[in-house]
Amino acid sequence: MEHSGNFLTFVGEHLQQFFSYTAFANVTSGHLIMIAIGLIFIYLAIAKEYEPMLLIPIGFGILVGNIAFTPGLKLGIYETGSVMNYLYFGVLQGVYPPLIFLGIGAMTDFSALISNPKLMLIGAAAQFGIFGAYAIALLLGFSPSEAGAIAIIGGADGPTAIFLSSKLAPELMGAIAISAYSYMALVPVIQPPIMRLLTNKRERLIRMKPPRSVSKTEKVLFPIIGMLLTTFIVPSGLPLLGMLFFGNLLKESGVTKRLADTAKGPLIDIVTILIGLTVGASTQATTFLTAKSVGIFALGAASFVIATTAGVLFVKFFNLFLKEGNKINPLIGNSGVSAVPDSARVSQVIGLEYDKTNHLLMHAMGPNVAGVIGSAVAAGILLGFLS
Amino acid sequence: MKRKLYIARAVIALAMVLIAGHGYAQSSLDLRINEVLVINDSNYVDTYGRRNGWIEIFNTAYNTVDIGGMYLTDDPANPTKYWIPKGDPITSIAPRNYVLFFADSMPTRGIQHLNFKLKEGGSLALFESNGRTMIDAVKLGPQKPDVSYGRLEDGGVEWGFLEKTTPGANNFTGVIVTAGEKFGAMDPFGVGMAVIAMSVVFFALILLYVVFKNTKKIYSIDLRKLFSKPEVEVEAPKPAGEEISGEVNAAIALALHMYVNALHDHEETVLTIKKVARTYSPWSSKIYGLRNVPR
Repeated sequence: MEHSGNFLTFVGEHLQQFFSYTAFANVTSGHLIMIAIGLIFIYLAIAKEYEPMLLIPIGFGILVGNIAFTPGLKLGIYETGSVMNYLYFGVLQGVYPPLIFLGIGAMTDFSALISNPKLMLIGAAAQFGIFGAYAIALLLGFSPSEAGAIAIIGGADGPTAIFLSSKLAPELMGAIAISAYSYMALVPVIQPPIMRLLTNKRERLIRMKPPRSVSKTEKVLFPIIGMLLTTFIVPSGLPLLGMLFFGNLLKESGVTKRLADTAKGPLIDIVTILIGLTVGASTQATTFLTAKSVGIFALGAASFVIATTAGVLFVKFFNLFLKEGNKINPLIGNSGVSAVPDSARVSQVIGLEYDKTNHLLMHAMGPNVAGVIGSAVAAGILLGFLS
Repeated sequence: MKRKLYIARAVIALAMVLIAGHGYAQSSLDLRINEVLVINDSNYVDTYGRRNGWIEIFNTAYNTVDIGGMYLTDDPANPTKYWIPKGDPITSIAPRNYVLFFADSMPTRGIQHLNFKLKEGGSLALFESNGRTMIDAVKLGPQKPDVSYGRLEDGGVEWGFLEKTTPGANNFTGVIVTAGEKFGAMDPFGVGMAVIAMSVVFFALILLYVVFKNTKKIYSIDLRKLFSKPEVEVEAPKPAGEEISGEVNAAIALALHMYVNALHDHEETVLTIKKVARTYSPWSSKIYGLRNVPR
């Protein structure tokens, strides 16, 4: 009888101990808020199809990162030796973003840009968003390194944002990455009102000259010359720019089809899964739910607005110097923000609203891919000055 | 053909020499004598509990450098006075890190213990493993007890007596201001950053614009024509419309795509025979099957 009493105490104690290990015993309101955010991401990805390739891994990562556990079991992403910590290494050391750029390079067709190289300048103008956000971040009291890491959200390029924040402000990387990807998903919502506000009907109806055909030699030369020129000017952008142009050369050379297929297929898919999941998991409530994160989200929105405004206004300014017939439709100014290809799609959709036969997609892809180059160059500059 | 081969070989050889030279510059030549304490009365104690003069070597590179096999000497006439043994983990200096040697003239106490002592007014040099190439050297003038003589900043060019002795640590002991903090102090509102960075971004993309605006012209120059005697040529008739626009190309591509996709095997009860190509693979070949008797 005594034995059975002891046994019941033993079972009771161990059940209690087991309960103390469960997430039910450790969960806080912060964890629940983050789990709700993760679920919203997953909902937006599935129901609204907003950037599902990114929002599903990130959303699920947020769920994974916010399961409340007892520290010391080598489970958390910040615990040395845990599986998630090993996977997170690729984010912390900036391994994943260049690999994603390799895939982007292998997917991107720079023909639109080569056929009309002046569109590159729109990609440059849109980078005002980065430096506008940098100035506002300094005013809000962020340190220069933090301000630089936050400002890159305006480049609208997730891998670039992760790469730069891992170097300048690793502690803010989760919030920066989530903010960057969220606003990239919201490009179709953020950009159209600004585009309509800054243009008149006559400007929206501008028809651009059809792009000329681009020879294979030009396509092969572009990644080689592009890499040499940009990295000679900003060597700190080498990991991103080097891989972007390398991927493009694999595609355009025509003799490395298998490598290009791997870069733009399985490789980028694997890295996207890893980067999405680990960045999502890095948003543990304890590190993520801070006043700084709120500031980062506000600055992210501001940087997108500034970038879009700068792109559209720059086209209008540029048109002052262009002859009739060569003018650029300012509705492609927004696509200098490098959210490829979403911002170019926005140009197309808004253009069609005013003229059903005016297709701007091909023209918008020029500044769109120039924006990728521009944001990588801008990241290199910030890294050079602030690290 | 042979000449071309010779040229190609020469170019590869030259490239290899250049690469090898570069690799050399990235390793042993990045080591520096960083800090020296000659008179050690009440300073750093070695693992044997003794106080002796010590030498700090700093690896300025961002890669690991092995000091094993190199030489330390206090006698310029004898550059190979102390040979640093190879293969010990101590000799492998991590990026931007240090290794200490004790000048106690007791080499039997371990590889960090040298076979000479430092003297006021003497000198100290580090030689490459060939015993001829000097990597770094320092002339030791009059010394102060327990005050080390070293580079004011790790790997820097300026030498002097240091405020604090820092064996195996950063020579600069003041407050370290990061590049970001320096930039922020000079540019508190971010205007400078915006001006500089936007100028660079525009410059980079304008450069690309200029190059690609002219690329087609450059590579379409016929150099043979440029340097050969002008010949009277009968001008070939140009095709109507000098350039085919991308839209025309897209239309042609679409038409071809539709045409190719329209070729299918079964159409409205009419059968067409289409040859199916199979790629040969030795893995599935019976010729190479395991039932074959091995020869």
